[in-house]
Amino acid sequence: MTESIPRAGGASTRTTTTSTTITPTTTVSSPARLADETAQGKTTIAASVVQKIAGIAAREISGVHSLGGGVSRAFGALRERIPGGGAGTTNIAGVQVEVGEKQAAIDLDIVVEYGASIVELARAVRRNVITAVERMTGLEVIEVNIAVNDIHLPEIEAAEAIPAPVTPRVE
Amino acid sequence: MSASGPLPDAVQEREALAERVSATVLAFPGVAGPHGGRYNDIATFRPGGRLIGVRIGEGDEPVEVGVVLGLDRPIPDVVADLRDAVSRLCGGAAVDITVGDLAVDPAVEGAATDGGGAAAEGAAAVGVDPGRMVR
Repeated sequence: MTESIPRAGGASTRTTTTSTTITPTTTVSSPARLADETAQGKTTIAASVVQKIAGIAAREISGVHSLGGGVSRAFGALRERIPGGGAGTTNIAGVQVEVGEKQAAIDLDIVVEYGASIVELARAVRRNVITAVERMTGLEVIEVNIAVNDIHLPEIEAAEAIPAPVTPRVE
Repeated sequence: MSASGPLPDAVQEREALAERVSATVLAFPGVAGPHGGRYNDIATFRPGGRLIGVRIGEGDEPVEVGVVLGLDRPIPDVVADLRDAVSRLCGGAAVDITVGDLAVDPAVEGAATDGGGAAAEGAAAVGVDPGRMVR
């Protein structure tokens, strides 16, 4: 019965919520909402736009080796082989976005360089992505989830060879 | 034009307006190209081909414009200026603007597309916490 209250409220207040949704002015840096344009027309920003901006902003932080890795990379490899799988949508590895009328949520998969403090790095990436997306699109970024999928070790790539096989110590 | 006789004036007028709007949009600073929207429905049908990126609504419907923008200016600024310009052309009509994509220097985007991509638009919700509400 508790469930029926918010549901009913959500449905019936559809018209009134429009007035309440305009009020949240979260960060000072976020530009004017697009909501005030309703009389002159509305603006739609495609998810691929937000994806590209977020991807570029994440990459700008030194210490980020690449985006993607893990499941998203496997997904991408699969999608590439499906005809039309990438039509109309940009496939950017490691960046998933959800875009609403006024807000966006972003999930990033990153591979970090060895030697960078991951906590600091994630904080810097998050800050840069939020700033870039809010400034460029006017959307409020409600969250940036960062998954560090891998760490890039420069010396291993240079040596290429796997260290000598471990010989058993016991016979 | 064909066997059905001359086109009604209203249709011709809308086509001409669509062409003027398209020319204005494409010449607008910050606009990299036209965009047909997610379903390629922002277009004007006319003899000689489809004009992608502009749809003149009938009656009270808004004018729809689809664009690919550059990254040199914040999108809301470009969109606001573009809306003013198009609305002036169309006698103050409402203008819906869809930013379908960004034109980004491939070098900058770079490895962004290597190894294919993550779930885009359609599958964006995969693996997303279901409790999250995006307005």
